[in-house]
Amino acid sequence: MEGTFIINGKEKTLNFNADERLVITLRNNGYTEVKNGCSEGECGACMILLDEKPVHSCQIFTASVQNKNIQTVKGIGDLYLPHIIQNAFVEAGAVQCGFCTPGFIVATYALLNENPNPTEEEIKQAINGNLCRCTGYVKIIDAIKNAAKSIQKERASL
Amino acid sequence: MNNLKWYFPKTIKEATDLITKEKVLPHAGGTALLLRNLEKINGLVNLSDLPLYYTKKEDNTIEFGSMNTYADIISKLKKIDTENILLKSLQNSADTPLRNRITIGGSIAFAPPWSDIIGALIVLDTKIILSGKNEGVFPIEEYLKNNKLKQDSLITGIRFNLSKWKTFSYRNIRTKKDMPAFHIVVMLQIENDIILESKIVITGTVNRYDWMKEIENYLKSREIDIIEFSKIEEMVDVKFSGKRFTDPEYSRKLAGIELSRGIKKLVRES
Amino acid sequence: MKNLNIIGKSKKKIDALSLATGNAKFTDDFYVKDPLFVSFLYSPHAHAKILNIDDENAREINGVVDILHYKNVKQKLHTTAGQGYPEPSPYDTVLFDKKMRYVGDRVAAVIADNKQIADNAVKQIKVEYKILKPVFDSEEALEKDAPIIHDENSYMPIPVKYEPEHNLAAEVEIGFGNMKNGEKEADFIIEKKYSTHYASHAAIEPHSVISYFDEMGRLVIITSTQVPFHVRRIVSKVLEYPLSKIRVIKPRIGGGFGGKQEVFLEPIAALITIKHKRPTKIILSRKEVFQSSRTRHPMKITLKTGVKNSGEITSLSLNALLNTGAYGSHALTIVSNAGSKMLPFFNKVKNIHFLGRSAYTNLPVGGAYRGYGATQGYFALNQQIDIITRKLNLDILEYIKKWHIRTGETSEVFKALGEGTEGVTQTIHSCEMDKCIDLGAKEIDWYNKRKKRIMTGEDKVRGVGIGFSMQGSGIPLIDMGAASMKMNDDGSFNLLVGATDIGTGSDTILAQIAAEVLGINLDKIIVLSSDTDITPFDVGAYASSTTYVSGTAVKKCANKIKNQILKVAANMLNSDEKNLTVANEKITDTTKNKSVTFAEIGSYTLYTKDQFQVQASASYVPKLSPPPFIAQFAEVEVDKRTGKIRVIQFVSAVDCGVALNPKLAEGQIEGAAVNGICYALTEDYKFSKSGKLTNQTFNDYKIWTAADMPEMKTIIVESDEETGPFGAKSVGEIGINGPLPAIANAIYDAVGIRLYHAPFTAEKIYSELNILR
Repeated sequence: MEGTFIINGKEKTLNFNADERLVITLRNNGYTEVKNGCSEGECGACMILLDEKPVHSCQIFTASVQNKNIQTVKGIGDLYLPHIIQNAFVEAGAVQCGFCTPGFIVATYALLNENPNPTEEEIKQAINGNLCRCTGYVKIIDAIKNAAKSIQKERASL
Repeated sequence: MNNLKWYFPKTIKEATDLITKEKVLPHAGGTALLLRNLEKINGLVNLSDLPLYYTKKEDNTIEFGSMNTYADIISKLKKIDTENILLKSLQNSADTPLRNRITIGGSIAFAPPWSDIIGALIVLDTKIILSGKNEGVFPIEEYLKNNKLKQDSLITGIRFNLSKWKTFSYRNIRTKKDMPAFHIVVMLQIENDIILESKIVITGTVNRYDWMKEIENYLKSREIDIIEFSKIEEMVDVKFSGKRFTDPEYSRKLAGIELSRGIKKLVRES
Repeated sequence: MKNLNIIGKSKKKIDALSLATGNAKFTDDFYVKDPLFVSFLYSPHAHAKILNIDDENAREINGVVDILHYKNVKQKLHTTAGQGYPEPSPYDTVLFDKKMRYVGDRVAAVIADNKQIADNAVKQIKVEYKILKPVFDSEEALEKDAPIIHDENSYMPIPVKYEPEHNLAAEVEIGFGNMKNGEKEADFIIEKKYSTHYASHAAIEPHSVISYFDEMGRLVIITSTQVPFHVRRIVSKVLEYPLSKIRVIKPRIGGGFGGKQEVFLEPIAALITIKHKRPTKIILSRKEVFQSSRTRHPMKITLKTGVKNSGEITSLSLNALLNTGAYGSHALTIVSNAGSKMLPFFNKVKNIHFLGRSAYTNLPVGGAYRGYGATQGYFALNQQIDIITRKLNLDILEYIKKWHIRTGETSEVFKALGEGTEGVTQTIHSCEMDKCIDLGAKEIDWYNKRKKRIMTGEDKVRGVGIGFSMQGSGIPLIDMGAASMKMNDDGSFNLLVGATDIGTGSDTILAQIAAEVLGINLDKIIVLSSDTDITPFDVGAYASSTTYVSGTAVKKCANKIKNQILKVAANMLNSDEKNLTVANEKITDTTKNKSVTFAEIGSYTLYTKDQFQVQASASYVPKLSPPPFIAQFAEVEVDKRTGKIRVIQFVSAVDCGVALNPKLAEGQIEGAAVNGICYALTEDYKFSKSGKLTNQTFNDYKIWTAADMPEMKTIIVESDEETGPFGAKSVGEIGINGPLPAIANAIYDAVGIRLYHAPFTAEKIYSELNILR
């Protein structure tokens, strides 16, 4: 099949199989920042934003999201212009192996867009679709708290 | 499998025509379809262009279009009825990203034993609105039991009444993100320290779900001061299959304890 | 600390931003043109002989390139364990065997143009099996009439006991003193049986490998490994392919925890590339990772202690039986470690006997797993000490403080037990165990909670428990790490290390060491690690060795560089080397108040006069393995009616020497602790009666999300380990040892039930509570 998608703000026409999952289509087309850890909607490494909402891209048929807005971690910020959240993860020591990190950044981005001042419980809820085996989550939660503070500070200064 | 054909109907009529004529399955959020073997079907009918994201509220009745996701339902119910049993059941279901994708229609059509939604819909006496061959409005229990209703028909919405009843939901899970081995839902109508009525269902049993009729009868018109909670515990006499890695006998005992605790909690709060 | 600028600071991990933006590449992220894809056929039987394989139908499918199995692949015995050479693990594995030893054993591999074709073709292979009687229990496996699992010609490459005809994959035995006398001296004997269970490493990145020929016809293997140099050696030996023609590259690795210390996919990818002259990609599915990669070995332990009424242990007998599953990877060394890491802790015990055995069974294969036997051993010891001190009404914290090994002391066990054979004598140079206990106890408010059974609801009661342990820092006289460095014209340095960063941050730590020695900023060190063509050798990331072993190699190397630079600077400044100091990227003659910058030196050496490359290399083989120490505390809440348990708080206080990067050190402890907590409560392998794993998904095998997390606290208790680089010991594994016993002890403290068999499920607690009633 062939379909059009808006990926990180750019319109893209991609080829895919009718039963293909979005994670595979994205990875086959160079969006390797979307990781594939389990293909069963459990680990969250493949998380993307679909029309601004976080979803497991392994749980989506590519064909079903044509013409939709897809945002990967690179659409949030890249090496040359990282997002506050990405810097917060780096500074808090929340990145160990980093395989799960793009998914966590996506989940955090969605959370802070909706709720710029989350409680610890709300943070934990927001990232309950992401597994991390390295950090024990402690520094990830720290990073999200710090990111929220930084974003608020930035907004206040505007 | 690569021959799978996708259809993108723009109207409900187009969609139901496709479902009736072709060897196809409706695609809502897709999460349940991914668990199925699609080799035997020819195509998928994507429902995302249909006007099924609606919410209608008239007096005490609320109706949700079947394409509402769990996240949609949670955010809509939060605004009108925080005690709603469906809200309580869905709030901790699956995880945040999955709740953005699982639709109410797909979830009812799939209705796995670990469903977080079925128990709540049953005690709410929910009506399922169908289009297609079996066009009409059917009680949820009839829909679950009568497989013929599912044929060549599309769930377009659900409807139930809002109430002032007190509610309680308990999911037996191993970690916060887990499919429950069983799910208890309770609705109590309490007035002047008397339980007028109750509705109690446990899902995930070998019968898929069981009404706790004996307990409902025991509670009916009973003053809350004279409820014997240990009795309620013993009245939970349901069979579990042992799926989801939980011992059936333990599940039965646990269901009794948690159900009795749930009722105690509601009674105390009233 | 003495005027350190880079060491002891929580420097940002040098690869963190690249990872957080999705730039960094893991194995599956590398593009190779037109690769072959591989799908495996696995045995549905726990124990069977293959009578015939008929692959004709599968071969006829369009897009299928080849099918590999015992009929067409040479059967070369080896071990998949990525250990020092010769490995202390039995050579009992071939790439494709005629005999199947567990459900999930590899029958055949389909090679095809795409993954779907390969998956479909797998279903078309017809296999005729002769089903054999399986054995699943490690004790039953050692019985006389048990079915023999390895009845072919497997052998042990080092001279230790190995009796496959009795399903005995390994045996080790040591003893000191006189057990009979010890038991006679005792006022009472406590003998208990404990058992631990299977677990998956559950690294979020599945095992992945890509192989291809480069433009010069050399075989390149990009792989998710902890042991790139062992991969090169094992691939070369198994395929009888020249080592010089193999290049192994380790990209970013998505977690290892021991699971990627195994070389079981690389030889197959390499074989396919060699045979078909095409790139090959093997990416395991999550189900395959659970079923057919490696696991934590279950262990049965009988611990018998003779105890005086004073609390003194007069005799200690440890009998450990490891279930190694179908193959003996790490079977000897892990069971050894149950003794060698645990027995020296109470070094005043004079009469000791240790028997460690490993049994083959028809279950999934064990392998290295963070903690490596120590986790299992300390589960038993910590509960036994809880039992003893409760019986004698002694304060367990004071008891541990009184009897543990301390600085200046030794244990005969160090010498007696090593990597399956003899170990190395060592004296403890640093131990802050007492402080770990005191600070941890204070943090969890131990004395206000212990034995208080505080009720927090009608049926909810709380308790606290401790799990103490020590680990090691590398394997003495066996592990080797090497580093090389060169200076560039702007005063920056390339640091090449064989050490394998699998997410731990070792690239950063090693750069910090080099930067500290040279007095420069971290960004002046350009790290390249783990490429067998480019970097020097290193055994890899295991045995808590990288900081201590590879770190010392880097420090030595950086010192050599520093000496070279000093010489150049002395020439440039016309000074005596003795008057020169190194700081802030320059070398200053304090007597003349003149200095040259590193950039000036770099440029000078390459372009100006007597040109040469400032470069050096260094290797390090440790003579010792200084143990880190830890005290871990759990507070739990048990529902007395349902058996449901919640961890409220978890505290770890660790002495890892000097924490070179405190945040990264904390991260190691936090990750290990949470892994240990999940292992104690919700992780387990569930088998059907025929030995099939039934919970091989993350949906069914439960590791925790952030939503499950208790309050966590990690306290770094610094000590100065004079033998380590800048005072460091290890920190990678030790944090996983405490949760299992600390939670078990906390459950006892709350409700008075003793759980000898992990994991502690609600059902188990419920049924113990009901026995109590």
